[in-house]
Amino acid sequence: MRHRQGELKNVRLPPVTGYSIFGEALALGLASGPACMASCGPVVVPSLLAEQEGMRLNTRYLSSFLGARFVGYLLFAAVAWGLGALVSFPPALRLPVAGVVHLLLGCVLLWYAYTVGRACALSCAAPELVTIGVAKKRGVPGAAVLGFLTGFSICPPFVAAGLRAAQLGSIAAALYFFAVFFVGTSVWFLPFLSLGCVRRNEGVTTVARMAMVLIAVYYLYLGLAMLIGRKVYGY
Amino acid sequence: MSVLLTLPIAVWSFLMFAHFWEPNRAGQIAIVMTAVFMIAMFYMMMRTRTTYRWRRWFFVAMGLLFPVGFIHTVIAMRGTMGIPIEEMIAGRTPFCFLPIPLLILPAALTKTVVFPGSILPGTGMAGAGMAAMAGMWLAMTIVVGKGWCSYLCFFGGIEEGMASVAKRAKLKKIDTRWRYGPWAVLLAMVLLSLALFDSVYCMWLCPFKAVSEYVAARNTLGMVQNGIFIMLFASLVIVLPFLTKKRTQCAFFCPFGAFQSIFNKTSVFDVKIDKTRCSPCVLCKTACPTMSLTDESIAQGETLMSCMKCGACVDVCPKDAAVWHIKGTDVASNPERARLLLLYGAWGMAIMFGGTIIAGGLATILHVFIK
Repeated sequence: MRHRQGELKNVRLPPVTGYSIFGEALALGLASGPACMASCGPVVVPSLLAEQEGMRLNTRYLSSFLGARFVGYLLFAAVAWGLGALVSFPPALRLPVAGVVHLLLGCVLLWYAYTVGRACALSCAAPELVTIGVAKKRGVPGAAVLGFLTGFSICPPFVAAGLRAAQLGSIAAALYFFAVFFVGTSVWFLPFLSLGCVRRNEGVTTVARMAMVLIAVYYLYLGLAMLIGRKVYGY
Repeated sequence: MSVLLTLPIAVWSFLMFAHFWEPNRAGQIAIVMTAVFMIAMFYMMMRTRTTYRWRRWFFVAMGLLFPVGFIHTVIAMRGTMGIPIEEMIAGRTPFCFLPIPLLILPAALTKTVVFPGSILPGTGMAGAGMAAMAGMWLAMTIVVGKGWCSYLCFFGGIEEGMASVAKRAKLKKIDTRWRYGPWAVLLAMVLLSLALFDSVYCMWLCPFKAVSEYVAARNTLGMVQNGIFIMLFASLVIVLPFLTKKRTQCAFFCPFGAFQSIFNKTSVFDVKIDKTRCSPCVLCKTACPTMSLTDESIAQGETLMSCMKCGACVDVCPKDAAVWHIKGTDVASNPERARLLLLYGAWGMAIMFGGTIIAGGLATILHVFIK
């Protein structure tokens, strides 16, 4: 065993350069993109269908969503790095964070479904993104709020990226890794743009709103279960 | 003439039930009773030239006798109606058709089936496996489309029975937007099944778990799940059908029904409104158990894609304006032929699928009295 360790010491690993980080993060992002797409699907698909028709508006939605998700990614990575928890994020901390994120996601989806209904009652023709807030000018695009919260979801690809980023030695390199990883995963979100072509009518909007409520209820349950898991699951 | 038209169904019944012939006396009596029942219902359809009433007798019998046979088998094999987690991990969960639409995306993207059952025939309660059920579903669906929900679904009969108990609907004003419910449940369940890699509908929202196979509750979670199943069953399958005279679970909730609506496009059979004869009195709209007729659709001479081909509108129409139809033919061109062709296909499959369920349930009951 000692002999083996000695052998390993003599192995010369290739230097970690900007290019190698870029390639590795992009490959990881592209490979794990379907998992990201699947885990964000329950949030993106109904809320996107609840928006108005048209590629331009749907592109704006997706840009807001992905932009906010990117900010969420980086913020989470930075905070986790600061706490030294990027590699071994303990379950005792992970579950409450994930629980709160799910609770917030559930609340936002409920609010979203309600706002879409009100917006439609006022004017369905306005080609604007649905905003969440008291006044329209002070409101935040719902897509951005959802994107930011999904950026905080600790999904398996995120953990994989976190593990690799933690080995890079500096926070700048780790954030760079995360940024490129994010680009790789985002490619998989482009098919969602095609939902912009789906013709919106009362049926589509109602289905989207009802689906949002169902998903929100499930997220609220998941959030609560994560927060009081021991009592719910009994172990 | 009616006897002649019934003859093919009688021969088919004989072949099917001979195949399922049982060595014990209770099973034999059950098979003979079922065969006679199925042939008699078809004969009455031919004789009276009506569909809905006779189909409903069969459908309610199937709905009521399915839990009898299923629960008996589950208890005989497992000792309890509750499915424990060990059975799920071992892939011995019996598969029904309801989760089929939830399995497609995960299987397409990851080659993984998100259901704790066996694809091929397995041991114990795994039964014939998912492949057999999915294969049967596909073959039958291509022919009857959403007619599946009127002739082949072994769950819908209970609510159809409840919907026919009261003479008049006590709740008449129903928001038509509830019709979108099945699509919303389908969308949410497909997305959540893909995200969580779990058959979420079976775990959380299937009302029929209450009368088939609930979760073996060992913790609060299991209690909550079972509570949801019972609540959904009581409201959507018992109380609301009684109050509204509609199949509320099918019309407002069932994700499989929404999925099945898509296959109404592949089926050659549909129901049309002959605009030259229609007054319109909207009796058909009131009679439709799934709200698949609206003023607009009647004006266009169409039913909505959620039409289950149950025949309620055709039978109730005083001017014979609601008619069975084969796609590609004129609306008024021999609707009786269209009905006959649909019924041969649908009833043939009903004998094969529902007939065995009815015979199984009857045999279970008869076993109590006849050794």
